[in-house]
Amino acid sequence: MTTSTNRRPRTIYSNPSRAARPKPEASGRERFWWIFMRLSGLALVFLALGHMFIMHVLVVLTGDQIDFAFVQSRWGTPFWRIYDLLLLVLAFLHGVNGARIVISDYVAHRTARSLIIGVLLFISAAWLILGIAIIALFDPSAS
Amino acid sequence: MERSHELINLFGYRVSWAQLAWFGHRASGLGVLLFLFLHIVETSTVLFGPEVYDFTQTFYANLPAKIGEVLLMAALVYHSLNGLRVIVMDFWPSTTIYYRPLTYGVIAATTIAMVPLGLIILTPYLPWG
Repeated sequence: MTTSTNRRPRTIYSNPSRAARPKPEASGRERFWWIFMRLSGLALVFLALGHMFIMHVLVVLTGDQIDFAFVQSRWGTPFWRIYDLLLLVLAFLHGVNGARIVISDYVAHRTARSLIIGVLLFISAAWLILGIAIIALFDPSAS
Repeated sequence: MERSHELINLFGYRVSWAQLAWFGHRASGLGVLLFLFLHIVETSTVLFGPEVYDFTQTFYANLPAKIGEVLLMAALVYHSLNGLRVIVMDFWPSTTIYYRPLTYGVIAATTIAMVPLGLIILTPYLPWG
């Protein structure tokens, strides 16, 4: 009945009021990510919603448009570069860790799970480096 | 009594609002993450100068893309509000007794917020806009 070598107990979402997993009992890596998801989530409420509101509501209402000149003026100031860098890194870590938790909920086979998560982390690392490189390398004086 | 919290009967599963909130949190989170991957690739064209970047941005200037933009924003608003609800109930467990009105509130607030936001984004691309 039980194939204990390949399977582990599924996370039990006993409390229907939670949309997320309960706080891990033991301190350590999983506890760190549990706290990280809540703190980064709180920051992202302002960073991500602020970003969406500026880019897709204020830009429309002011009759502006997102083009190269728009990026030049924004990333010409350190404030928006740091804002966007913070948003990128936090959103990425928050999103990829969320995907990791969803994968480990559905893939019970240990080897398959490690493989899928390994691929996810590899691709994500490459993508995050690309994202950071864009913000770091963009030259606002270029035309 | 339990039946009164039923939302829809899906292939014999009685899906409650709480289950839908849980599923919606995951679906919206994965959706936003998928767009984030696309967004990084699309923004990378900014390194190749104004012609390339401005051309890439024209991909977003049509009605189907704008509908996608509204869905992305709805996903982000829902994920944010529902995430705040999770944080509140994780750190103040006594608020858990209000989980049902809070869940309804999150769904209602998302819907209400998306009406003006959706109109602002879509109006220039609608036939009468």
